[in-house]
Amino acid sequence: MNITEIKSERAHDSYYKLKHSSGLTIYVYPKEGYRSAYAIIGTNYGSVNTCFSVDGGDKITVPDGIAHYLEHKLFESEEGDAFARYAKTGASANAYTSFEKTCYLFSCTDKFEESFEILLDFVQDPYFTPETVAKEQGIIGQEIKMYDDSPDWRVMFNMLGNMYHNHPVKIDIAGTVESIAEITAEKLYDCYNAFYNLNNMALCAAGNVTVGQVLAVCDKMLKPCEKHEITNYFEDEPKEIVAPYVEQSFPVMVPIFNLGFKEDPEPIDEKKLAQTDILLSMLASPTSALYRRLMDENLINSSFSYELFEGPGYRAVIFGGESRAPRQAAELIKQYIAKVKSEGLDKEDFEIAKKSVYGDVISSLNNVGSIANTIEAYHFNGNELFKYIDAVAGTGFEDVANRLSEMLDVNNCTLSVVKPENAEV
Amino acid sequence: MSNINRQRLADNVYFNSVRDSRFKTMKLSANLIVPLSEKTASANALLAGVLSRSCEKYPDFTALSKKLSSLYGADLTVNVTKAGDRQVITISASGIDDRYALDNESITEELSLLLCSAIFEPNIKDGKFADGEVEQERRQLLEVIDSEFNDKRIYANSQLIKNMCADEVYGIKRYGTVGQINAVTPVSLYETWQELLKTATVEIIYVGDSEPDKAAEVFKNTFSKVGRAPQKISNTVVRSADKVKRVTEEMELSQSKLVMGFRTGIATGDSDCAAASLMCAVLGGTASSKLFCNVREKQSLCYYCSSRFDRQKGIMIVDSGVEGDNIEKAEQGILKEIEDMKNGNISDFEIESAKMAVVNAYRSSNDTVSGIENWYASQLFDGKFKTIEERSEEINNVTKEEIIRAANKLTPDTIYVLKNTQGVKE
Repeated sequence: MNITEIKSERAHDSYYKLKHSSGLTIYVYPKEGYRSAYAIIGTNYGSVNTCFSVDGGDKITVPDGIAHYLEHKLFESEEGDAFARYAKTGASANAYTSFEKTCYLFSCTDKFEESFEILLDFVQDPYFTPETVAKEQGIIGQEIKMYDDSPDWRVMFNMLGNMYHNHPVKIDIAGTVESIAEITAEKLYDCYNAFYNLNNMALCAAGNVTVGQVLAVCDKMLKPCEKHEITNYFEDEPKEIVAPYVEQSFPVMVPIFNLGFKEDPEPIDEKKLAQTDILLSMLASPTSALYRRLMDENLINSSFSYELFEGPGYRAVIFGGESRAPRQAAELIKQYIAKVKSEGLDKEDFEIAKKSVYGDVISSLNNVGSIANTIEAYHFNGNELFKYIDAVAGTGFEDVANRLSEMLDVNNCTLSVVKPENAEV
Repeated sequence: MSNINRQRLADNVYFNSVRDSRFKTMKLSANLIVPLSEKTASANALLAGVLSRSCEKYPDFTALSKKLSSLYGADLTVNVTKAGDRQVITISASGIDDRYALDNESITEELSLLLCSAIFEPNIKDGKFADGEVEQERRQLLEVIDSEFNDKRIYANSQLIKNMCADEVYGIKRYGTVGQINAVTPVSLYETWQELLKTATVEIIYVGDSEPDKAAEVFKNTFSKVGRAPQKISNTVVRSADKVKRVTEEMELSQSKLVMGFRTGIATGDSDCAAASLMCAVLGGTASSKLFCNVREKQSLCYYCSSRFDRQKGIMIVDSGVEGDNIEKAEQGILKEIEDMKNGNISDFEIESAKMAVVNAYRSSNDTVSGIENWYASQLFDGKFKTIEERSEEINNVTKEEIIRAANKLTPDTIYVLKNTQGVKE
């Protein structure tokens, strides 16, 4: 087995990468002096993968929310529930489904091997019956309703619905109460068999672990997988947004907004990612002239934030937060971006933003959970974390200026507002 | 466990430091602790915001932010919390350790000085804070209060406490009231600031690799110039409830929220406090707890149903999000699990798994900067710091009989329901 050490002079850290004979890609990031260990295994399969085929076979279309439903149900096996097994090791376990991936994880301070065996075991051992599937309807139904009542969640999906004509990223990760009613054990097996192939998955262990420990358990637990060709089908997505504005009334006291810019969805490498992060920090971090103006005009508060939102077939830049006057806030953001695009960026802002982005990524290497999740995310994006750190340190002012010229089209953005019933915004 | 070094700097001013070379960041927090009071809560909260947005040297928000960003994205943050009947104003500076600076800057030293400037050298002219700065923070604080209504789980929990502790100091909100916030003036805020430096108990906590002596010295020198007159801080615990208060609100939502408040009859300092913590974990603190396994998994009534213990106040809260038609069923389900515990219907597996989960959480906290900080901050009112292993041992020594005894001290006080009426209008 070929083990590669990936080292960062800047972060004073290193981690290991290898391809296991079973097909699984494995990362191990030991942290000296730590008591806790964290392991996460993920599949390159999320809520957007609702239409696919395997090895050129028939196209399969499945109900919205099925990836998340599968995540819930995978915890169950014929012998019982994985949480009950973890309860015997003391590990703290969880899982999550995002638009593009599904991950299962645990953290522990003792009995790493035992917990790690449980993780690898239940992820390879699906058990779905009509009864177990039916039981989850009530639980997930309440999870969906909890999100229905979340104004932050609603404002984002209303925005995505206004941005994407066809891409399934506009659909709630958990689906709807109606769509999950169509989920059957058979459909769960279709999805499981397609996407939970070790060749389509990646594992990362971080903290109080060694490569030897991880490999010993993997050798024992992983069943070799034949590699399959998975094709995901997405309808063509126009470059343009659907509509520039949407609002919804809600029981809130402060309106919330999301202003989303639709971006080119082609994958970007570490360098472009670094340029983008520095650019967004220059434009909208608390240091920026824009932030200052929005604050001085009472248009935002400290909940204001920005995000690069990306995955297979979609990328957007989202500015958002609470605002008494969201339309004015959005207008000011657009004007400011247009002005910077024509007049150019500021060099001092660039130097400050670069240090800030650099400090943020170094800080993130403290915590075993954030390390493992970050490595996992980089894996599925096809990038590498330490290359990104070097890219941040090596980014020049011109690079960022060039990046700005290909992003943030003020004529291709959409504003979503959630507001109190009787408020005019 | 990383050891803590506690040093007295002045009358009721302490510097607690944990040296640890494992982390890439450092954090220095000043906790200013005062009695929670209707008169001062809002002014203190507003002051905290103003102190963290500018100071004499960096007189506006942009100047201060630029300084922080150039220190590799360092943060200067405030947090206002309640710890029992105390209001705690925490002002923190955090950033990457000197070893990772690209140009060999001393970030720890600069951040320590910056934190001191924020607290001791604010942006004051002619005996008052700058008008614009105060107005900005006032607006934002009012919006923070309003935004707590946006998240219905937070709102429902805060309504429970408001109703349950209506006759207690603890019923005062951490930010006080809108009226009190509006009554603050730049002049009165200056008095609030002076009063706070004079009367607050101050607990400074440092976690990081670099030598903290410089920071300790700056705090010591500055406090030596302040005429200290620390206020006495007390905390009351209501041991039991006579009858159950029921409060229901209706709102256009998809999901109803059920929040139940209990008096535990056990609080910090009591010999059975560890038993109460473990009892609460067995009931609803983990994914193998009674509430998770029965109310969620077996009855499929909810996505979340959990319990937590506030040992400062001797209060246990159970909260859940359920279908409107199922509120009654969920309440009965929760009460049945508690009844089971009182009757000794607790398995060894439930006890052992809760013990392991609690100890695992304790031990994991030693692996993050904020985990270490919180470990000690949460014990500031206990008289002495216990190590992770000491508290783990206390948990592991709890017997089934002690859990049953703790469960039998529970009395329901207030049941708050946020009931959904039809769907949300588009």
